[in-house]
Amino acid sequence: MKSLLSLAVAAALSITIFSCTKDEVDAIDPNGTGSLNLEFDNYVGATNLALGTTQYKNAAGETFTVTTFNYFVSNLELTKEDGSKVKVPNSYYLIREADPKSLNVTLTGIPQANYTNITFTIGVDSLKSLAPVAERTGALDTGTYGTDNMYWSWNSGYIFVKLEGVSSAVPVAMSSSQVYQYHIGGFGGGFNGSAKTANNLRKVSLAVGSTPAKVRANVTPDVHLIIDAAKMLSGTSNISFATTPMVHSPALAKPLVDNYVNMFVVDHVHND
Amino acid sequence: MKNLLLGLGLWVLLMSCTDQTDVGLDSPTFTVPKNFPNPAYALERNLITSAGVDLGRTLFFDARLSRDGTIACAECHSQSYAFTHHGHDVSHGIDGKVGNRNSLPIQNLAWSTSFFWDGGVLDLDLVPIAPIENPVEMDETIYKVLEKLRNDKAYPKKFKAAFGSEEITTARFLQALSQYMLTLVSANSRYDKYVRNEGVTFTADELAGKQLFVDKGCANCHSGELFSDGKFRNNGLSLTFGTDLGRGRITEAQEDYYKFKVPSLRNVEKTFPYMHDGRFRTLEAVLSHYAEGVQATPNLDPLLNQSGRLGIAMTPGEQTQIIAFLKTLTDEEFLKNPQLTQK
Repeated sequence: MKSLLSLAVAAALSITIFSCTKDEVDAIDPNGTGSLNLEFDNYVGATNLALGTTQYKNAAGETFTVTTFNYFVSNLELTKEDGSKVKVPNSYYLIREADPKSLNVTLTGIPQANYTNITFTIGVDSLKSLAPVAERTGALDTGTYGTDNMYWSWNSGYIFVKLEGVSSAVPVAMSSSQVYQYHIGGFGGGFNGSAKTANNLRKVSLAVGSTPAKVRANVTPDVHLIIDAAKMLSGTSNISFATTPMVHSPALAKPLVDNYVNMFVVDHVHND
Repeated sequence: MKNLLLGLGLWVLLMSCTDQTDVGLDSPTFTVPKNFPNPAYALERNLITSAGVDLGRTLFFDARLSRDGTIACAECHSQSYAFTHHGHDVSHGIDGKVGNRNSLPIQNLAWSTSFFWDGGVLDLDLVPIAPIENPVEMDETIYKVLEKLRNDKAYPKKFKAAFGSEEITTARFLQALSQYMLTLVSANSRYDKYVRNEGVTFTADELAGKQLFVDKGCANCHSGELFSDGKFRNNGLSLTFGTDLGRGRITEAQEDYYKFKVPSLRNVEKTFPYMHDGRFRTLEAVLSHYAEGVQATPNLDPLLNQSGRLGIAMTPGEQTQIIAFLKTLTDEEFLKNPQLTQK
């Protein structure tokens, strides 16, 4: 019986090993392209984010739920082992925890190479924020958001990051249902007739880890990112639901922006 | 002249009936008046066609653009009052809710570089999203509006006529509304005919008012043929009626607090009440404000605080003459043109 168990363990192990290592990673075809997957896995601290009634705790000890967690990731750039960079053209993605499809982004037409770093902007750059309406397609189409709006119509610009929920720390005088809302935008402006506003665009550069992402004809690497929503509330400054339950303007958002710039990490890469 | 206009109108009417699928510059629905500068709107990005204007006009008058089907754009933008909300200090929207600003006229928008009292929107194509999604105005989402239009019998055909296929997109929806709004050009007031030498003469008071308008400095801000420099200024309104930050709400900069866009004065006789919050019901009250009501609030425009005097020195007689001149900016053809309203 014992030996049978060992056999089963050995079999399981071998399957695990087998599934983690590709038999053969193709050689790089310098003219060839491939694809790369980005998986956005949202957490609060060490707990996988569950929208709704799950209670979390911030650094100030206030409990809270998360009902909405959305963010724009744009202007993706991949760095090869040799340090050269590959820009992903027209890359604008809206990640919405409520929409499982949005959590996986597949980049296609990527030159075959080993990639060590991934860089992107949190939000929508100023040029696209001022672009003609016909150029606002896909994630930038303001007619696709419905009630979960990601666009400020009164002060033209996208909401870069949105975190909403309920906290018993929110003063009832501020919100009878104790809702907190953090809507963060502000692309800077100040040109082409646009008003100069706070600039909350931030660039994030992440090392993918000890194993590079190997884009080949027969390998589509899976880059698994972990995004810790709790980091929006702590780090550079601790955000309290009691004192700051609502943020709807670019200038007030800076403490949250300085926090959330650190909420992204690459956990691991699968090269298969 | 009247016959020519009638003929032109008929021709446009005929064109829109017979030539619905041709996408291109197929009608003179938009022309730059002789005494106007070049338009600011990028016309080449959204070619105005009679089918596009027809679609935009239908949308403008369609209350289904609001959540409960009660409020159309035209509700707060009525033609007879230069497309403003007649008599209301601030706009009245859905469920009897009231907004916090006076609705601006929709006229000569091709020459505007920013929109709304605070200039928060820079592109005419993006303007309609604000009232449609504002919870106290139309309280609807663009997403739902497009859904309603797609499920309608007539709209897909109208979109095909305007854009070549039945597909209803955010961009097409907004561009059609822009096409209609761009045709709302007011340039046939007595003033226009006077400056274009089209046989109009001014009375003595109107002439004196025209000169005072320049001499007293009104034209420093209400400049050019659009009668606005498009800038944001604090004209010294008392803050006792509320502390709307105006431009400061957009830039969040203290030096912009209480500044609002200088409005055009075209059709000003019809766009009462006045100011961003509609606090003045008459032009007499407005002139009286500039003569003796200007308050030294933060960021007061320096032009209204010269040599230690707040406001503009004007006798009651001068104020009357300026008002006589302002009334020459009323454009009856624009206010009554049946082409501009719902058919």
